Amino acid sequence: MTRYLGDEFLTPTLTEQNTPFFTSGRIQIQFCDDCDHAQQPPDDVCYSCQGTNLAFRATPGTGSVESAVLVHHPIHPALQERVPYVVVVVSVDGAPGCNVTGNVVGCPPESVEIGARVRAVFEEAKDPATGQDLLIPQWELVQD
Amino acid sequence: MHGQAVVVGVGESEYYKHGRSPDTEFQLACTAIKNAAEDAGLELRQLDGLISYMDDRNSPLRIAAALGFDELSWSATPWAGGGNNSSATLQFADAAVCGGYANYVVGFRSLAQGQFYRLGAGTGVASGGGPPGLGWGLPYGLMTPAQECALHTKRWMHDHGVSQEALANISLACYANAQLNPRAVRYGQALTREDYHASRWIVEPFHLFDCCQENDGAAALIVTTPERAKDLPGKAVPILATAQGLGPEIGANAFQERWFPGMYYGNVGRMIWERAGVKPEDIDVLQLYENFTGPVVMALCEMGYCEPEEVEAFTGDGALEGPNARLPFNTSGGNLAEAYIHGLEMVVEAVRQSRGDSTCQVDDVNLSLAVGGPGYAPGSAVLFGPAS
Repeated sequence: MTRYLGDEFLTPTLTEQNTPFFTSGRIQIQFCDDCDHAQQPPDDVCYSCQGTNLAFRATPGTGSVESAVLVHHPIHPALQERVPYVVVVVSVDGAPGCNVTGNVVGCPPESVEIGARVRAVFEEAKDPATGQDLLIPQWELVQD
Repeated sequence: MHGQAVVVGVGESEYYKHGRSPDTEFQLACTAIKNAAEDAGLELRQLDGLISYMDDRNSPLRIAAALGFDELSWSATPWAGGGNNSSATLQFADAAVCGGYANYVVGFRSLAQGQFYRLGAGTGVASGGGPPGLGWGLPYGLMTPAQECALHTKRWMHDHGVSQEALANISLACYANAQLNPRAVRYGQALTREDYHASRWIVEPFHLFDCCQENDGAAALIVTTPERAKDLPGKAVPILATAQGLGPEIGANAFQERWFPGMYYGNVGRMIWERAGVKPEDIDVLQLYENFTGPVVMALCEMGYCEPEEVEAFTGDGALEGPNARLPFNTSGGNLAEAYIHGLEMVVEAVRQSRGDSTCQVDDVNLSLAVGGPGYAPGSAVLFGPAS
């Protein structure tokens, strides 16, 4: 799918720790294999048991909107034609305590309410530095 | 838990709109420190400690050389963030002089956002900088502190039934107090509630006037021991208590469930009240850093001033405006309307209140509190007693 903020908009700078989230086409969250603690963003140590047996696990790809704001001021030239757009915090099903950020696509931005159920969809892009394919997680409203 | 250090000098440069300073950031820093030394009655060469915060671009080595210090024996910065560390500079200075590591320690902050980049423009984030948590928001157009704080504020207002008027109350108080302060960049620019509501949205629920300015300027404070202060001509303002810190996991992610929504100021409040043995209602005048109005109302509640459901009434009906307010608040105009020197100018104002020098002077100030920027961790606060 084309990108919510335009195909020319900024892409994430890939790191070892964000590559699963931005390239896999799933909502990948870091879990501790020793104690099953989930944490976002990922880190080198488990914040619950201090272990280092950490791995990414795919979650079901659904969640709930914890907050949603309309951005009116275009902070980047590429956003001039995109405002107002909606930015959300989503609590990820299957990853207790983990919230991620994103946009809700496919609906008027002002229609996104706190508590709305959402499911992940993925925007296709390429990492300009490496040419690697990106699948950037986004969210769409789940109709009741 | 507190030392007996005192503030003996404060200094500022002129404050400018961002990009308008004719001086470089380093020149502004040197000007503020020179003014603080003059205020204290000290020679520059006597200064021997330097503290700034948030990746300050003005190295203590360069300042000590340029200002002719005889010796630099203490330099430090609290960990990064932003204005959350403004009051922490005083804690480090207190620790340095009470520990005997330095005699006259300067806390300073200088910003020239024309010479460098504007923090609020997201420039640092777009180029791969900024806090790691914010980098995850980049492809979603989530790139600025305003947007990040708006996500917290929106949910918090939703949960507690807080209306836009609570945010307006904060903005109007800052602008009203700035009209008494000729140094304020917004002096002569009174703001009405109608103006506030009519101003453009930046990111809901923040209008333009919910957001701090970005400015060029510098501020500095000099801390020493009471014994050394006796030999100086001016007033000495005692540091009664300081706080700096954070609770578990706060630093990991701005949006994690455990702390969302919130400004993480419960810890800072508890530390300052316990260390000083006072309660929120004992404070005579409060300077509470405003990057945006939302974090201010959340921090007021987290620090124990009122319940979220009460915050609109607590801040309403002019309760924060002028020297005779129910809670005298941001009496110089704060970051919103005086100048955004990353909150250090608000610590200077807290000292002024203790000395009786404010343009919005509160009567009989015994306890003057300055709280660093809610919204980022670790937070900080410093409580001053009456000058002697």
